[in-house]
Amino acid sequence: MPALNGHTAPDLPFPVFQASAKVERYLLYDINTITWLRKNHNILGVLIGTLPQIPQQNVFLGLPLELQPEEARLLVEKGLAYTVNDLDWHTKDMASKTTTQIESIRADLHRDGIEVARELQKSKQKQTREALKRLCSNSFSTVSGDSAAGPDPQAQDDASEETLFADPPTQESTQAQSRLDPKPWTITPTTSYPPLSAPPVPSSPALPKVNPSSYALFAHLHEKDYFISPGIRFGCQFSVYPGDPLRFHSHFLAMSAEWDEEIDLLNLVGGGRLGTGVKKGWLIGGVEDKEEDGRDARDKVEADGGTGVRTFCIEWGGM
Amino acid sequence: MTTTEAAEPSLPIKELPRSPRPNLGKLHAKPFPLTTYPLPPLIPHNPFSILHIAFTYIYQFIAPPSSHPKAPYQAYFSPETRSVHVTDESAIRALWESGFFGKGSLSRSEPSWLDREKRRRGLLANETSEEVTRQRRENRKKFKKDRARKEREAIEEKLKEEKRSKQSSGTATPTARARYEGVNGGPVESLAESIESLIVQEPADPPTPPPIVITQPNGAVEYHPSTAALSQAHNGAPEPTQQNMEPEAAPIKNQEHLQLTPSEAFFLAYGLGILEIRDPSTSRLISTPSLFNLFRQHSYFPLRQVSTLEPDDPFLLHYITYHHFRSLGWVVRPGIKFAVDWLLYLRGPVFSHAEFAVIVLPAYGHQYWRGSEALRRETEKRSRKTWWWLHCVNRVQSQVRKSLVLVYVEIPPPSALPPYSSRDDAPMDIGLFLKAYEVRELTLKRWIPNRERD
Repeated sequence: MPALNGHTAPDLPFPVFQASAKVERYLLYDINTITWLRKNHNILGVLIGTLPQIPQQNVFLGLPLELQPEEARLLVEKGLAYTVNDLDWHTKDMASKTTTQIESIRADLHRDGIEVARELQKSKQKQTREALKRLCSNSFSTVSGDSAAGPDPQAQDDASEETLFADPPTQESTQAQSRLDPKPWTITPTTSYPPLSAPPVPSSPALPKVNPSSYALFAHLHEKDYFISPGIRFGCQFSVYPGDPLRFHSHFLAMSAEWDEEIDLLNLVGGGRLGTGVKKGWLIGGVEDKEEDGRDARDKVEADGGTGVRTFCIEWGGM
Repeated sequence: MTTTEAAEPSLPIKELPRSPRPNLGKLHAKPFPLTTYPLPPLIPHNPFSILHIAFTYIYQFIAPPSSHPKAPYQAYFSPETRSVHVTDESAIRALWESGFFGKGSLSRSEPSWLDREKRRRGLLANETSEEVTRQRRENRKKFKKDRARKEREAIEEKLKEEKRSKQSSGTATPTARARYEGVNGGPVESLAESIESLIVQEPADPPTPPPIVITQPNGAVEYHPSTAALSQAHNGAPEPTQQNMEPEAAPIKNQEHLQLTPSEAFFLAYGLGILEIRDPSTSRLISTPSLFNLFRQHSYFPLRQVSTLEPDDPFLLHYITYHHFRSLGWVVRPGIKFAVDWLLYLRGPVFSHAEFAVIVLPAYGHQYWRGSEALRRETEKRSRKTWWWLHCVNRVQSQVRKSLVLVYVEIPPPSALPPYSSRDDAPMDIGLFLKAYEVRELTLKRWIPNRERD
């Protein structure tokens, strides 16, 4: 497994899995890609995986990572990623496989399972050995007396270790026994490929569908090196961080709007209160209508970095 | 606009300097500006009480006393502000004290400008709620300033310590401070000294407000030291200077009027029948049906023609909700400061904070609204709200500890409403109109599983 420091770039472009054609959720399964994206491209996403035993878990979630549609779109537009219809690709790839290939995949998984079980058993044995050694150094006579007086068939496993400890030459025989023993663990691969073959890179990748105004604002803020996480919990579209959210509080609660959209006064009041109540700015932004303002606006757009997005911050006075 | 100002305003509670706190329960005993005549209590062992009840009953049967005031309160509609103004002092007091209707045009809620003005001139010693709030805000500001100063001092201390240790060790490792100096081009000490001198100065002098700077359009800046003195007096430290003594002799004219929202005004005029609303230009009384249509017209921007009014006018939705909650005994006040349509108070804003925040939403459940594709799209556009909006409003309400109530007003099809008549003063059954609507309430609360487990 590669080191998770985000230095090693994944093979570009990497696939982003869309759950199915109808479900527009974009998932990443590879932890290396996720750390690399976070470190180098300010892409956060949301970890959504729970432990299978604790489905009601709602903190410390793990893989997979769900990307916001805007994030997925940005990655595809930058040529870093391409979307893959997970359901289609999976069924197609499975159908194209011959029985022997599937069998070999299964055998691989089985081998991995045995490997894991063996590792676990080894570590268990080591623990037992160390514990016994400790006991032994405390009261050597008692332990050896016990083992000598214990012809208990129920303690078969323990007996092997005890004899091992007492009698080093029998080590090989115990290992042979343990090699037969372990029941393979069931392995659930965290990535879809491998074991499946990687989906082909399409020549013209499909762009994830996004709301144009919110995507423009997202791209604008992302370009300014902000970290952007979904803000639905806080009552806005995006919460905008000046650096990694692990180190910084968010500075802005962002909402996107069309340039000519009528905004209810009550919404402005609510947004202002919401932001100022938690010492943040409520930011509203949209793409400036270029046609109306003519040449002047275009110059501004050039200076703006080409996105043409203008943002405004609203604060509530007297709080 | 204020034409009928009372020469000698009668304020029974705040007449005396440093009068005791008004008995709020007694002052706001009536939920509406109406008088009720209950029968006297029945005392079983006292036969006279039965007689008393019989007498009262018969008397009220023969000559029923009016629960309404002798003459209806007068008000006029202001199309510029889309509100209804009440300028008569006694009407203002009656409307505020029983039912908490309206808001003072120069105050936060209770019309208290006159009291504040008197207090500013040293005539009255009672505190108004605005002053309490201002005091609270000043305290908060001071607290924050103190906290910032302490933090600064701690940093100073730390820097001095670091400097000492650096001098003792004699090494020249670039510290954060050294970098800061390099960036700013000036030593931190001088900055710290200037800050310290400011801090030392502050407690010695009474806080003087900064001189008001007026920037003129041509860019010239004028300083008004005289206004500083004025604002100092305004700050709550009345000093009988020459300037202040002079206007004391003349009685103060009340510059304030009561503003009613269209819903409040219509409830008083139609629901209770104690308010007469006049046209500001002609001073003619506006009849209830035409008032109804006038308010509906004015709930759009720009103004709409009467013939183009719709069954889901903003005024209609708001009035129906207002009437609904007033009928259930709540004190309903506008809630724009909390990003909602109405706030519900149990007894009134002077007794407790609002418990519920009400948002009015139209609901198009009737078959008619799904009749055609265009209608369906239009109604969806009108009733559509985003999840972000809902979370935003809900968070704002939980910050101020109110429960959010979504009120859905079921919009009837236009055919279910009484037909519109082109004649302005034609009799129109508003009751029949309002009966076509239905109100549903939905209370919303942010539920966090981790916090609500036990």
